[in-house]
Amino acid sequence: MYGYAGKQLRVYLDKKEIKAEDIDFDVMRKYLGGAGLCAKILYEELEKGVDPLSPENKLMFATSPLTSNRIPGGGSVILCFKSPLTNAWGESRCGGDFGPDLRKAGFDFVIIEGKAEEPVFIVINNGDVEFKPAGHLLGKTTSEKLSMIRNELNDRKISVMCIGPGGENLVKYATVMFDQRAAGRCGVGAVMGSKNLIAVAVKGSKEIKAAQPEKLKDAISDAMAVLRESEMAAGFKEHGTTGDMAPNDAAGDWPTKNWQSNHWGKAEKMYDDFFDKYLIKNHGCYRGCPIACGRIAEVKEGKFKTPVHEGSEYESLSAFTAFVLNDNLEAAIHATYLCNEYGIDTISAGAVIAFAMECYENGFIKQKDVGGMDLSWGSPDVLPELVRLISSREGIGDVLAEGVKIAAKKLGKGAEKYAVHGKGLEAPAHDPRSGKTLAVAYGTANRGCCHIHPLEAMAYDSGKLDWGMVKFGVPDPNEVDRWDEKGKGKMVKILQDGLVLPDILSTCKFFNYSGITLDHHAEMLSAMTGWEIDGFELMKIGERVINLQRMFNMREGFDREDDMIHERMKKLPAFGIYKDESRCGISDYEAMLDEYYDARGWDKKTGKPLKEKLAELEIEQVRA
Amino acid sequence: MKIKVKLYTILKKYGKDMVDKDKNMSIPSNLTLKGLMSRLEIPKKMGKVLLVNGFPQDIEYELHEGDEVKILSFIGGG
Repeated sequence: MYGYAGKQLRVYLDKKEIKAEDIDFDVMRKYLGGAGLCAKILYEELEKGVDPLSPENKLMFATSPLTSNRIPGGGSVILCFKSPLTNAWGESRCGGDFGPDLRKAGFDFVIIEGKAEEPVFIVINNGDVEFKPAGHLLGKTTSEKLSMIRNELNDRKISVMCIGPGGENLVKYATVMFDQRAAGRCGVGAVMGSKNLIAVAVKGSKEIKAAQPEKLKDAISDAMAVLRESEMAAGFKEHGTTGDMAPNDAAGDWPTKNWQSNHWGKAEKMYDDFFDKYLIKNHGCYRGCPIACGRIAEVKEGKFKTPVHEGSEYESLSAFTAFVLNDNLEAAIHATYLCNEYGIDTISAGAVIAFAMECYENGFIKQKDVGGMDLSWGSPDVLPELVRLISSREGIGDVLAEGVKIAAKKLGKGAEKYAVHGKGLEAPAHDPRSGKTLAVAYGTANRGCCHIHPLEAMAYDSGKLDWGMVKFGVPDPNEVDRWDEKGKGKMVKILQDGLVLPDILSTCKFFNYSGITLDHHAEMLSAMTGWEIDGFELMKIGERVINLQRMFNMREGFDREDDMIHERMKKLPAFGIYKDESRCGISDYEAMLDEYYDARGWDKKTGKPLKEKLAELEIEQVRA
Repeated sequence: MKIKVKLYTILKKYGKDMVDKDKNMSIPSNLTLKGLMSRLEIPKKMGKVLLVNGFPQDIEYELHEGDEVKILSFIGGG
């Protein structure tokens, strides 16, 4: 047996029982692993309409043959579930050693079912699984839990993923943390909390065999050579994603004041301050990462002081600065540190607070509703306090913990215009007014309005990256105007098919920005599994997976109407350097979506994959 | 003529010999942004944003005495 550990683990929390099942290699060839295998299992095993916070929901942890510390980008794990935030396909990635260590523990996939009677954590150790009481862990921050679990297991290095108070309190955008990295989006932490599963620890010594070890060695060597020459990789190491604050602001790719603008002008100074005063060093999330994009920072003193910690990436800091019009960087660093400690998504939290500030400005939230706090735009002091209230569902926190879509319904008619989301997932810190490809990517991503699962479209339009995909039909981005609308729908189809592969392979997507292509992945995958697989077959698998996730959503009642983007993303910005740039508004989104559906082989009215497309992709489980 | 040039993150290395520590750079007149990037040897096929005196300009823009140019490139792509 090559490439895979060979087993998937089912955990029945209600009975505290497990079942180790052999994996089916024919299925693996079609779906590979990660978000691909999860799409197949969850589509087949979840009933339509299941309540995501009920015992009937299932939570999967998934890897692939490339999830390994020795493979460039191999330190990652993908979590899939039905999302309590969106009621759609839920998918969340976490960088770190958990994925590789799960395979060393003997399992390629874990499927968590049911609900434990009392809070538990599970320990997977070389094929054995123990259920341990977790009552004493409740209410603790994620770093406290990690420390307590490692002490209890007498193992200072064991890989642990855990929820924080946010997940315990079923905050709809609660996270699952691996140390200070997050499986951030879609509320996976609430799913774990609803199952009374507080943490999962994994360790083992299983060695996964490669079918062609020499070929694998060469393939890894080729990939490493590319990384060594890559300016992107060097940029990630020195500046992290945070280094994109100033360029994105300048490009009109910085949603500001709850999407009223796409530019603020303050990113440059804030990033320079971050780099000079608060950044300590870079950090790799998994042992052996050759890029190591993480930021270790500290606010040494003052009311926003933090310990030395990892965080402060682009999305997190942008959500607590530009979104909420806050230019106090220390408050932003502190608030995002708290999000990690309490276990809630920094992007959704910042977006919800921006929404709350706009509601406050317009009378939907009164000062008495927030215990006398002043939620004026840019107020730094309210940021950590709101994070606390949301995580504990106290006061206004109980409404805000539902996410902007539901919070808007609760706050009253008219508030929905301030709720910027797609399918219920709060929009992240990238703006389609900087490049129109992102409009289609935002509208059609299966987990909701997402900038990276599967496609970071502005990297194409502004960044001029093609990810080696010109050979699969994507136009050279240097020949494409970022503000053109025609042609974008068609290219998003191809880009999504390709860029979903790291989510299927559970490998870090930043490696693909640094020059690793589908051909590199195919070479490594062939060497691991013994299959003869190439980039074209990987594209087909990507297309299959996206269509199956789409069918999951359609079964839950989503259709073309839900593939919309918020009005604010289409309008010219209210202020900033692009306010008079007529090219940056989106003039005909429907036409872009039509073009996308056409390229996808989906029904123009509903967006449903046509029978012929499902047959072509051999998606038999879907009775069209 | 003299302009100011600020290069960001992964572009910093391109200015080393031509831009002083106060960001001053001497250029011939009638130089466009395209010409400036050529002088700095910044690769063509790379996503960039160019701001002159705080506003985005395209590569055909002709530089004037005292212009403050910012050239930014993307790490995560965009």
